[in-house]
Amino acid sequence: MKNKRFAIVLDTNRCIDCKACTVACKTENHVPLGTDNYRNWVGPEPLRGTYPDLGQSFTPSQCQHCSNPPCEHVCPTGATTVTPDGIVHVIEHKCIGCKYCMTACPYDARYYNEEIEAVDKCTFCSQRIYGENGQLPACVETCPTKVRVFGDLNDPNSDVSKLLAKYPSRVLKPAQGTKPNLYYLI
Amino acid sequence: MSSFLKHRPSLPLWLGLLSIGVLIGVAGALNVLINGHAQVYNVTREVPWGILIATYVFLVVSSTGLCLLSSLGHVFGIEKFEFIGKRAIILAIITLLCGFGAIGMEINHPIRLAIYAIISPNFTSAIWWMGTLYGLYLVLLCGELYFLMKGMHKGAFAMGMLGFIAAVSAHSNLGAVFGLLEARPFWHGSFLPIYFILSALVSGGAIVSMIVYFNHKQSGTPMPQKYEDFIDTLGRLQTLFLMVLVFFVIWKIIPGIYGHPPEKYEATMAMLTGPLAFNFWFFEVLLGLLIPITLLINPRTRTPMGVMWAGISATVGIFFMRYDLVIGGQLVSMRAGTSDLRDGLLHYVPSVTEFAIVIGAISACLLLYTLAERFLPLDTDEH
Repeated sequence: MKNKRFAIVLDTNRCIDCKACTVACKTENHVPLGTDNYRNWVGPEPLRGTYPDLGQSFTPSQCQHCSNPPCEHVCPTGATTVTPDGIVHVIEHKCIGCKYCMTACPYDARYYNEEIEAVDKCTFCSQRIYGENGQLPACVETCPTKVRVFGDLNDPNSDVSKLLAKYPSRVLKPAQGTKPNLYYLI
Repeated sequence: MSSFLKHRPSLPLWLGLLSIGVLIGVAGALNVLINGHAQVYNVTREVPWGILIATYVFLVVSSTGLCLLSSLGHVFGIEKFEFIGKRAIILAIITLLCGFGAIGMEINHPIRLAIYAIISPNFTSAIWWMGTLYGLYLVLLCGELYFLMKGMHKGAFAMGMLGFIAAVSAHSNLGAVFGLLEARPFWHGSFLPIYFILSALVSGGAIVSMIVYFNHKQSGTPMPQKYEDFIDTLGRLQTLFLMVLVFFVIWKIIPGIYGHPPEKYEATMAMLTGPLAFNFWFFEVLLGLLIPITLLINPRTRTPMGVMWAGISATVGIFFMRYDLVIGGQLVSMRAGTSDLRDGLLHYVPSVTEFAIVIGAISACLLLYTLAERFLPLDTDEH
């Protein structure tokens, strides 16, 4: 059977900056309290226009699950690794806490989790997507305006494939050569 | 006896101060072990490498520099340099071990490193190579010291040659730990691996000048002509190293500001006019470069004492070069919207515990070297 290539497509025009994705993620993945501890976030873009005609967009993001992940290249013990379905994840007991991956990631997608004693990051909620009911990642499911769409790019009939076929999109920091798998519709 | 004491710092006082320094470091380390890294360090998710990494780099640069300088004698056959062999090598071992201690306190699981670097190595990781090459380098230094202590010159030559190769490999690779990070424009590229080798020579020269001066000072006798000649040569060599380093610093800055390259520009300006500016201009430029060059270039101040002061000044400057390099590369946020910015930059100030461990690591170096000087036969026999 062909492997999957998991990805998320985001329509940031829908984002209302409610941060429900961050809350859902923290709850689902037992992210410890603390301002440095989060797997996903909502990034505010600069204000547009002049008062009173103002506008603002928000860019939710997380680990890009790069096809060419710098964090995997730099990890001295192979603690950061990629599953056949393209999920970049950390094998906790191998993590030495050198934080090289944190300096190598151009997206600031990682933090050190004192509770699991390893660097932690988004796993596309692998416990949910591979679980019995095949649920969506928590951030995708909880979003009230359906900013994120999750799916398999290797399946041409998946929602993500269809969206990317229909609309132009961009990735973050393409010049880094990381080949991200979070796509932002333009 | 009293005039003898007048001419040197009192040894018990010196040992006492260093012991207090080591105890401060031990207290810091215990604080980490009891309360956890996150509670007692000021490193963050966005500035994950702090002063302990800078101290590690400083100490292993010193180690490499000492090894390179000593290799001038018993590997490259410059006779004047032969007599520093044992002292340089033993201090190279000590600085390397204390450097390992500093990084061991920064990383969360040094024991996992020892296990999984062997059973689960990642050959594309510069940190894996760093551990491996410095491990090899440590073994070769110990071998070199053994042969030097036994007076076995052929063995010392062979070990010294291998040690030289290991030192340059390990140290340029340490530059690559930073230089291979595409995400950090301030570090990325082939500059740092090359720069690290040169700056190791400066570090080594500075420390050797202190070793020779204070070691002689302790004897309380007039300095023999041989020492004076050596120090004069070392001073001239050090002038060359420092002047080349000036150009390295200049050519690090110009591409950082020319045309405002994104992220590189902000990091460079953090050093020139931003939060690291005092470190840069006062410590790096004034203490690290200008004062030593001024002392060394003038024959009247190129005395044993002048060369020693140039060495101390350069060593302090070099510590800040390491700090600014490590911290400066992380001050630019990786993404927009990070809330906690000051003048558009992230910020980091070492915590008390981090300072304590730095004091401990440096005191441990000096203490171990002082003890080695007292208890090991380090004076080289003529041959």
